[in-house]
Amino acid sequence: MQRDKFFKEIENLNHPNEKLIKTHCSYCGMQCGMNLRVNTQTNKIIGVEPRYDWPVTVGKMCPKGVTAYQQTNHKDRLLKPLIRDDASLKGTTEGFREASWDEAYDLIVKKFKELQSKYGKDSLSVFSGVSMTNEKCYLTGKFARVALGTRYIDYNGRFCMSSAAGGFLRSFGVDRGSTLPWTDIHETDCLFIAGSNTAECHPTSMFRIWNVQERGGYIIVVDPRETPIARRADLHLDLQPGTDLALANGIVNQLIELGYLDDEFINKHTNGFEETRELVKEFTPEYTSMLTGVAPEKIVRAAELYGKAPNAIVMFARGVEQQHKGVDNVSAYTNMALITGKIGRPKSGVATFTGQGNGQGGREHGQKSDLLPGYRKITNPEHVKEVCQVWNITPDEMPKPGVSAYEMFELMEEKTIRGLYLLCSNPAVSAPNQNFVRKALKNLDFMICSDFYLSESAEFADVILPAVTWSEDEGTVTNIEGRIIKINKAQEPVGESKPDWQIQVQLAERLGRGKQFSHLKTARDVADEFRLASKGGYADYYGATWDKIEKQDGVFWPCKDENDKGTPHMFLDKKFYHPDGKAKICALPYRPPAEEPCEKYPLRLTTGRVVYHYLSGNQTRRIPFLHDMCPEPYVEVHPETAAKYYMEHEERVRLYTRRGEAVYKVKITEAIRKDTVFVPYHFGHEDSINLLTIAALDPISRMPEFKACAAQLEKVEIKKVQ
Amino acid sequence: MKKRLYLELENCIGCRSCLAACTQCGGHEERNRNYVYDVNPLVNRQTMPLMCLHCENPACARSCPAQAIQIHESGAVLSALVEKCIGCQNCTIACPYGIPKFDTEQNLMYKCDLCIDRTKDGIPPMCASVCPSNTLQWLTDEEIENKKKQFNLDNGKWVTSMPYLEGETNVKVNLPGILQGITKLY
Ligand code: SF4
Ligand code: SF4
Repeated sequence: MQRDKFFKEIENLNHPNEKLIKTHCSYCGMQCGMNLRVNTQTNKIIGVEPRYDWPVTVGKMCPKGVTAYQQTNHKDRLLKPLIRDDASLKGTTEGFREASWDEAYDLIVKKFKELQSKYGKDSLSVFSGVSMTNEKCYLTGKFARVALGTRYIDYNGRFCMSSAAGGFLRSFGVDRGSTLPWTDIHETDCLFIAGSNTAECHPTSMFRIWNVQERGGYIIVVDPRETPIARRADLHLDLQPGTDLALANGIVNQLIELGYLDDEFINKHTNGFEETRELVKEFTPEYTSMLTGVAPEKIVRAAELYGKAPNAIVMFARGVEQQHKGVDNVSAYTNMALITGKIGRPKSGVATFTGQGNGQGGREHGQKSDLLPGYRKITNPEHVKEVCQVWNITPDEMPKPGVSAYEMFELMEEKTIRGLYLLCSNPAVSAPNQNFVRKALKNLDFMICSDFYLSESAEFADVILPAVTWSEDEGTVTNIEGRIIKINKAQEPVGESKPDWQIQVQLAERLGRGKQFSHLKTARDVADEFRLASKGGYADYYGATWDKIEKQDGVFWPCKDENDKGTPHMFLDKKFYHPDGKAKICALPYRPPAEEPCEKYPLRLTTGRVVYHYLSGNQTRRIPFLHDMCPEPYVEVHPETAAKYYMEHEERVRLYTRRGEAVYKVKITEAIRKDTVFVPYHFGHEDSINLLTIAALDPISRMPEFKACAAQLEKVEIKKVQ
Repeated sequence: MKKRLYLELENCIGCRSCLAACTQCGGHEERNRNYVYDVNPLVNRQTMPLMCLHCENPACARSCPAQAIQIHESGAVLSALVEKCIGCQNCTIACPYGIPKFDTEQNLMYKCDLCIDRTKDGIPPMCASVCPSNTLQWLTDEEIENKKKQFNLDNGKWVTSMPYLEGETNVKVNLPGILQGITKLY
């Protein structure tokens, strides 16, 4: 299926005394295929071999993927549960002692029960992530609601994908991150890519993206920085951070002005066009230019190139989503496809670059504060009833919706939430406004953290549980395309580490919920229950059996039953998921970033990734090659701006906002706007740029505005040591 | 069918996956053997790989007084034979591209051997296997011929056939500029 011109039959190199285990990368949403090399004498993972037969990435990997295997037998692995008796040491790596699983479980159960009997069920919370399998994501949602009975569960997708989800739900009535498979990308005629540093964050998309230009097609890139992809783009719209909504409205204005509408599509398959036409009237190229800083002729040209293209794909990522109007940005860029009818057919559509490995699947099955498996709503009594049947509980046992990730920290600070079970996430690096978040974590009465390394967040825990890496367990993840794929186990867990689903089953049994959990003895058991729980929801995975995934090179959801091959292309029948079958063209008034530059804070600070690191860097900072390539954060400054501050390349300077400060090395480059500075966010403690970022949340997705706030630079005198 | 390493420098995104992958070739002792340069880091993000070109008449081998640098029948210019290399470092100076690296601890030269364990059986080298941007590709002569037709450069010159400092090379290089001659679709 979908074997295209990049696919070549290539035999793998088999070394003596080794076997190859087919799987996928542990990191980003590309989920590149890879083979793990396992020594058949020691049964240990010892290396990587390309997976040429994976149709999406045909053997390609970025440096994170190439070195991902080094996580498994890393010297920093947590091998036993750790307990810290002295709470005054919270926020440090000090004071932990090794313990048995029984001792750890006993302590957790005792503390959880104490807190819940004193302060109610909702005094506990679960904060999870989506860099883990669907099975684990699913069970985490069930664990929170059934075993703990708390309403407070949310996950790091709020810092990643939730604006895309909110935008797609509003525009299409369904949230599948890409309306088409990645194997369509190189065959389109125009790519409009906003707020995605694709070459660094989703590198293995690049061979397909460059091919569009080699075929004579166009690439349009929207970014405040001249990223590697912007450097070669046909058109680079270098907007001010946080002004996407104005730009999107401006382009829609020009698509209308220049006559690129598909009237028939608009009439038959959409609502909301007239209001939108009215609203974007004022977004003339000149007005849009004033708001965004992009030259008017570039805005017109973008509309021309996109409008004229026989086929085109609108793509975006965190740059547009991590804003306090992220959902509006997503819907506004999606408008481009809806008014020109460039959707619902091969080679045309809309896609977001999913950030985390299972950013798609992990948000569909009940880790979000208001969602249940299959994208069901916890506020919908019918949905609750359906899930309760699978979970073997009564509807009145189902907790109410909770709050979003960042808002949980607010509840910790004010002591509504007193206990936390953290897994698969490192919010002490990745959440905004770190000074507040770290205070909130310190304020907890009891915290457990499950991880395979001692992360910055684990430093706040009372108990740390050693989890396995992705290579020591099996299950499915849903990649950037919406394709459900299989992660395979290559090695037995190191030390006493356990997969999170098993930890949850064992804890649930001790919390008196054996009836609902004890039957889950293997990852496949969890998978079977999870498919059933998703059945009938619109993110229906019921038909996506592991066998089918293997046979078909993955299965695109929805996949309703055994005979359903899945849905690579969405909306081919031009039916959208709103009750009337139509998509919504959204009229969205512009609003500026929550914090605009001023005299005291005249610069715009934006944050993002580098190719060598993943999320909070808890994994990649420990990998020697990746560490060597990017050992520390830096602040990117335009040479003219640097000159104004009398700063030199590599000089250490103080960067500060209303919320915090940090000292960084200056990296001078002309490849950034003069009014903007950039810092990568993968670093912890005093290096974390999230000490400075703002927690202005999107009203719908509750996504913080990582991508724009007001900042100032200052020279520092570094005293020489010795 | 003989395949060659083919470089399309315009594509490079500077991810250095080629370097990471180089350490993964079984015979490479986890040391990478090539380079990726930031072309003009204070100005833009252009990068390019600098790989051994596997010259047909390699200066490194010619300069070696101990005949430690052998040429494989496939044309790959191999890393110095451990038992023959005397650590004189002539090769590192002789190579016009600065490819051979030197291990001062072991007093040994080491360089790209085009993943000879793999390429001798027609399996692509690690760098070209993983390169996310198709800067590094592993192609048949016919495919390279097609590339030549596809990319009609302004100056009428097909860069991979230009005489290098060291004459013909087994690796073919396409310098930045491949997009110049492309006819746009619309
Ligand atoms: S991090 Fe992403 S692009 Fe890199 S190898 Fe892993 S899945 Fe592929
Ligand atoms: S892997 Fe490819 S794109 Fe990345 S640095 Fe090497 S040549 Fe450039």
